[in-house]
Amino acid sequence: MNARGRSFLERPLRARLPDLWMRWILTALAAGILVLIGYFFVRLIVEAQPALSKFGVFGFTFDNNWDVSRSIYGALPLVVGTLITAAIALLIGVPIAVATAVFLTELCPRGARSLLTILLELLAAVPSVVYGLWGVFVLIPKLKPAEAWFGRTFDFVPFVGPDVAGPNYFIAGLILAIMILPIVSAISREVIATVPEAQKEAALALGATRWEMIRMAVLPYSRAGITGAAMLGLGRAIGETIAVTLVIGNAPQIGHTIFSQGYTLAAVIANEFGEAANNQLHRASLIAAGLVLFVLTLLVNIIARAIVARSGRIKTVGAR
Amino acid sequence: MNIEETVKTRLLLAASLGALALGATACGSSSNNSSTASSGSSSSGTVNGAGSTFAAPVYQQWGSTLKDKGVTLNYQAVGSGAGVAALAQGTADFAGSDPALAAADRKALSKGPAIQIPMFFGAITVSYNVNGLQKGLKLDGATIADIFLGKITSWDDPAIAKLNSGVKLPGTKITVVHRSDESGTTKGFTTFLAAYSSEWKSKVGVDKTVKWPTGTGAKGNDGVAASVKQTDGAVGYVEEAYALQNKFTTADVKNKAGQFVEPTLASTSAAGDGLKIPADLGVSTIDAPNAAAYPITSQTFVDLYKDVCKAGMKQTDANALGTFLNYGLGEGQASLNQLFYAKLPAALLAKSKAAAQSVTCNGSPLSGA
Amino acid sequence: MSATIGVLPPVSARRRRTDRVARALLGLATVVALVPLVLVVYYLLKRGLGAISWHFFSTDPTGAFIGDPGGIKSALLGTVEIVGLATLIAVPIGIGVALYLVEYGRDGRFAATVRYFVDVMTGVPSIVFGLFVYITLVIGGFVTDGYAAWKGAVALALLMLPVVTRSAEVVLQLVPDALREAALALGAPRWRVVTRVVLPTAAPGLVTGSLLAVARAAGETAPLLFTSAIVLGTNFSLGQRTNSMPIQIFNDVGQAQDRLVERAWGTALTLVAMILLLNLVARLIARRSRLS
Repeated sequence: MNARGRSFLERPLRARLPDLWMRWILTALAAGILVLIGYFFVRLIVEAQPALSKFGVFGFTFDNNWDVSRSIYGALPLVVGTLITAAIALLIGVPIAVATAVFLTELCPRGARSLLTILLELLAAVPSVVYGLWGVFVLIPKLKPAEAWFGRTFDFVPFVGPDVAGPNYFIAGLILAIMILPIVSAISREVIATVPEAQKEAALALGATRWEMIRMAVLPYSRAGITGAAMLGLGRAIGETIAVTLVIGNAPQIGHTIFSQGYTLAAVIANEFGEAANNQLHRASLIAAGLVLFVLTLLVNIIARAIVARSGRIKTVGAR
Repeated sequence: MNIEETVKTRLLLAASLGALALGATACGSSSNNSSTASSGSSSSGTVNGAGSTFAAPVYQQWGSTLKDKGVTLNYQAVGSGAGVAALAQGTADFAGSDPALAAADRKALSKGPAIQIPMFFGAITVSYNVNGLQKGLKLDGATIADIFLGKITSWDDPAIAKLNSGVKLPGTKITVVHRSDESGTTKGFTTFLAAYSSEWKSKVGVDKTVKWPTGTGAKGNDGVAASVKQTDGAVGYVEEAYALQNKFTTADVKNKAGQFVEPTLASTSAAGDGLKIPADLGVSTIDAPNAAAYPITSQTFVDLYKDVCKAGMKQTDANALGTFLNYGLGEGQASLNQLFYAKLPAALLAKSKAAAQSVTCNGSPLSGA
Repeated sequence: MSATIGVLPPVSARRRRTDRVARALLGLATVVALVPLVLVVYYLLKRGLGAISWHFFSTDPTGAFIGDPGGIKSALLGTVEIVGLATLIAVPIGIGVALYLVEYGRDGRFAATVRYFVDVMTGVPSIVFGLFVYITLVIGGFVTDGYAAWKGAVALALLMLPVVTRSAEVVLQLVPDALREAALALGAPRWRVVTRVVLPTAAPGLVTGSLLAVARAAGETAPLLFTSAIVLGTNFSLGQRTNSMPIQIFNDVGQAQDRLVERAWGTALTLVAMILLLNLVARLIARRSRLS
């Protein structure tokens, strides 16, 4: 504001003190967050150092050998497992999430809309461990025959085979799909809501049917935003731990098909961390796995946010 | 010391308080104990243990008995490896570990000299869940190794058929279930396999955790049991108590003397007969030479620092630890049978007791012991 | 885009059919999306209701291998303790940061950076927070090493912080500037404007955001695994290792025994009911709010 006007409006210092205090405390809090994240990152790197210097960053991330008994830690099976499950989650989750978003914003009768929206958000309220519990005792046994049939019938498709392990990549991916659905759907809804009415009306005025309007006006306009939403979903899928730990099979090798057991970065940390405490290299390797996970989610999130931010002014991204 | 008397009065106190609080219901006393205990005198305290899931059923059972003596025993069944790690990190007061302490373990236990006390034996069963296959399938070390190497992939494989003439074997695919955590059960099991399969020895090796060539990983004996239970065609190795509890069909395994032996209390106990006891008490009952012995029998230890208070325990908790050790090597031995674990042979039990007596708190013996 | 539309032919039967099919598919997808919710709730009720009794809530897990497995008293109270403390840490800090962003930082470069990193924090996997707290507080040597309830609470607070901050920021921005200006014009100092005008006006929204963050934290397992650990008994000391419902479920899932699995379902039902209740309350408060 203008400094000249202050001279006679200015309060004595004592009266201003609370103001200054509040300002500094709040600023310190905000700065604290930056410091925390910075410290966080540095500390992870420091603690992961023994593993990274022994195997090299590249060797650690891309060596296909996780052998605790021989003290060899190559995280490729975990990285691959993480990516496969996340990919399955996206393939299943994103189309459904986008479809729900389109349906709720463009087609759904007004009365049902808020109810359906709340129900969709409740999907996110179910804790990870509960999805895991459900996966172990319901999904795995009930889906096994279907998976076996699918594996036999589509044996010729790459990464599909008739050998079905109970816990496997596909089950983990399916549960992840359910878990990312609410966030992808919510952001897609926000993005689709920003499509200008004029644009939609223009399409309808030209004689387009409702679907044609969606296909030609709504989807192209919100493509970038939806991509961003999918990326945020990817971030979630990569970092999800407990549900995946329960249904992935915990085998540190790269499975041959989507119905093989595997492992993910997050799951290996959850499983092995307790016993790694006094084995410096093992602990450092798990922290390095955490670091890889952190960097991976960070990159995905940064890209996602850039895409979403460019596609419109959506302020609440991910804040749920 | 008149421990028995104090215990009795404590029991009375707990019971009467429980009765007061809950209107003379007997079951109320257990939940009230912790509060009486914390305000009580010296031998009440909390002991945090962590480790072997193999031994967990026993410690948990002992824990619920010890509750009446004012001792709260928190035993986390996290696997032997994690147990020793927890002891080293100071997050546990004792570790339950099936294999004897290795040199690396002792190095990690940096808060003072550590000792291991043998507690009891148990059988590691080869449990399977195969529709149409009865209990008592005969298997030898080499065949089991080939199954866990992924070389034998179906239940009607000739190698299995050869050992089981007259048994109709289904063609179900074998699903191997193994441990994903560092486990004494794994160490015992792989020790046995390596003795009979050179390929196992060179390719996989012997350790608390190994790089499994095939199969699904599960956490803890209970996790393996759960996986086996849920999958037709599954085979896994679990401690006998877990196998019995889930009514698993178990294999008769060929021992060193060439006999196929069913895992039972008698055959588990037999593994301890004539056992050689090294100075550090690091016994091993795997592949015992005795003809009646079940070959995959494992021992289990309590690992702790010789001076528990210098390693960070409070005096009251240290006394509770003493009570725990005393009970485990005394009355507790008698209760083992109901869980199908075998008690220590007399010679070893005497040495274990001596080791337990040698544990101190800041130089003086534990009053609970 | 509009150029590609061009002039469309009259609505033919084929186009009408495509339209109908596509719309039906979109509706169907929405139904499919809700199937898991229905199934999870169905199985929770089917398998969990049987486990629930007074005994279930009033006894600690016994850990006994045979006989009575006990209930979930320590887990229930532990979750309340840990999440309660996490809320006490995360909500003031989160709202404080949001206040800075809205009242002082506004569109400055520093505020933008903070805002950006808070957003980034929402994407950090919960297990990484657990890892961080383990490294610094459980074995770091800064404080007494070992597991403790408060360390679990710190991990959960880290998880809640960005959620609280961002939702609080949105709500604070909704407070009309006219209100602030009016108060300032009356000669009120800034801190009074914030405490007497801005915060009370935004209160319902802040509560809603905080409750949603609490609901999210209450179900988290990964950050607690190696920070507050698991025990059987109830304790009220925040310096001790403490049981919690998610950890109890995680532990019981891995058990072969039916009675423990049943307890896992019962615990899951209790936990989900609690979280849904928090969500419901949060939404009711949000609806009451004058803003939005």
